[in-house]
Amino acid sequence: MSEADDELLPELDLRLTQENLEDLYEHAPCGYCSCLPDGTLVKLNHTLLNWLGYTREELVAHWCLQDLFTIGGRLHYETHCAPLLLLQDQVREISYTLRRKDGSTLPVLMSAVLVRDLDQQPLVVRITLFDITDRRRYEQELLRAKVQAEEQREQLAQANQLLVSKNEQLTRINADLDSFVYTASHDLKQPVTNMAGLFQELKRTASFHDPEANGMMSMFEEALQQILVTIQGLTEVVQQQREPEQVASDVVELQPFVEEIIRSLQPGEQAATFTLDFAAVPRLRMSRASLHSMLYNLLSNALKYAEPARTPHIRVSTAMVKDKVVLSVQDNGRGINMERHGAELFQLFRRFHPGVAGSGVGLYLVNRLVHQAGGRIEVDSQVGEGTTFHIYLPQ
Amino acid sequence: MDVLKRNNVTVFGEGKQAMVFVHGFGCDQRMWRLVAPAFAARYQVVLLDLVGSGQSDLTAYDPARYSSLQAHADDVLAVLHALNLREVVFVGHSVSAMIGLLAAIQEPDCFAQMILVAPSPCYINDGNYFGGFENADIEELLVAMDENYLGWSSIMAPVIMGHLDRPQLAAELNNSFCRTDPTIARHFARVTFLSDNRPDLPKVHTPSLILQCAHDLIAPTTVGTYLHRQLVGSQLLVLETSGHCPHLSVPQITVEAINRFLNTGVCRQYE
Repeated sequence: MSEADDELLPELDLRLTQENLEDLYEHAPCGYCSCLPDGTLVKLNHTLLNWLGYTREELVAHWCLQDLFTIGGRLHYETHCAPLLLLQDQVREISYTLRRKDGSTLPVLMSAVLVRDLDQQPLVVRITLFDITDRRRYEQELLRAKVQAEEQREQLAQANQLLVSKNEQLTRINADLDSFVYTASHDLKQPVTNMAGLFQELKRTASFHDPEANGMMSMFEEALQQILVTIQGLTEVVQQQREPEQVASDVVELQPFVEEIIRSLQPGEQAATFTLDFAAVPRLRMSRASLHSMLYNLLSNALKYAEPARTPHIRVSTAMVKDKVVLSVQDNGRGINMERHGAELFQLFRRFHPGVAGSGVGLYLVNRLVHQAGGRIEVDSQVGEGTTFHIYLPQ
Repeated sequence: MDVLKRNNVTVFGEGKQAMVFVHGFGCDQRMWRLVAPAFAARYQVVLLDLVGSGQSDLTAYDPARYSSLQAHADDVLAVLHALNLREVVFVGHSVSAMIGLLAAIQEPDCFAQMILVAPSPCYINDGNYFGGFENADIEELLVAMDENYLGWSSIMAPVIMGHLDRPQLAAELNNSFCRTDPTIARHFARVTFLSDNRPDLPKVHTPSLILQCAHDLIAPTTVGTYLHRQLVGSQLLVLETSGHCPHLSVPQITVEAINRFLNTGVCRQYE
């Protein structure tokens, strides 16, 4: 305090100025001590002695500062703090734990300055210690939370790793399945074609005594036909899988395109009625072959699974929903029990109407083609009322 | 990979022979600043930071690779090769004394003499061997480190360099020396204090000087004596000082002791 400041003081209550330096040092709300450069304690204030439970005589000249720390703190002091003090003449805010005479501990924050003599040799170290019992508790909670977060991150990483390997496994299984389908369709086709040829030959040349034989012959022929249809379906799937990089550059005018498919489905009789509405989106840019296969399968399904009691009515339309084109095929047929079969609707060889001939390939193929075109497919269906397929295509 | 950059290698001084200084755990090459310049007139002085310490390339710290001191020894050899150095005087503090010995076992031709400052081949007590610590003590050190790294932020590290020539700057930066990434420091602490290189000692044939501090918690005098017995052709000199860093607490005496050893090959205990 300068003399100039003193002159301003007389106005104040004199009692306030009677703060005595000795008392301030001894009873400051923090621990003070001084030690030689090697750590030997030379002076400690009353607050610190009180914290520690030692007398001044026990410590001064006998103990080193670092002896007051726990062993971990001493290691830290010797390897980090002591060299730091000699290098930069001060350290600040280093966290240590004091060991009291009764064995209990007191967490403190230490700051220290190194005072040098006129020859720049280390003379004395002045140390201030703050009791940080509460702060340490918060810190420990923070540390625990940090450790916990790290553990959870580790667990997440492991779970993720597991998912990645499961995914790889599934991809492999899927590839195996594809090659199985290919092998099955390829290897079955030849012998079944042979059988069909042989059977035609047999039917032409053989005669049977048993009157039921003719019936059995036609049942056999039907079964054979069924196998051929299935294999044909599989072949289509395989072809589609073998050429996945179809260019989506065809612009398909929907009205004539769909009319052509309808003609090929029911060449003669006009048992079903069709409504076509492509006003919203009259043409699509995608692979002509894929689109043909999708619509052919959906439309033939709509006819095949018609409700016998009423005339099939089928509506094919387009719409824009947000930025997606929706191509819908709606029928008034038997419908599908979605609760029971919804999950397996698009699986290979799944069939839901045993009374109607089918191979279980059609919807599987449609779904794959839609996905390949970057779209997705949704189904609405009510048993006895009809089914609507919505194909969402990116545009 | 540029090993000189990776280990933040500093070279200065005049002389044919090189003198390589390697710091110990808890600090970096700047801890040699009271000692290394004294040799610059006669030696090519080489300072480096171990990978993970000081201004080394922290991204090169692969915990798996650096899980043993041998990786640091390999780094030291890589630096010597990069600078085309042979028959160097190696000065290693604390754990780096062991790192130097491992390097000297691997390539003896690279080393002429070893100065081992406050060395210890094993910090943990083991049967009759007194290293000074129990495993629990090392765990406690890790806790103490955690408590001190709590407030550290990752942006602190880069601010630290380049004020050796302007000491007034040093005072403005809080604990600016010897700061490094807390995760690495923790890992290095474990590797350092749990290492046991006692079986390697008989394989060393390079002459060495052990500088033992009289009162050192980290490397007690019994450890220095043990090391002296195990190292063929070693000399033991006890320095009358406390603590673990004689090159900082009594730099002049440290320089004199090293000079005497280098000049005469003999360094008897002070009378």
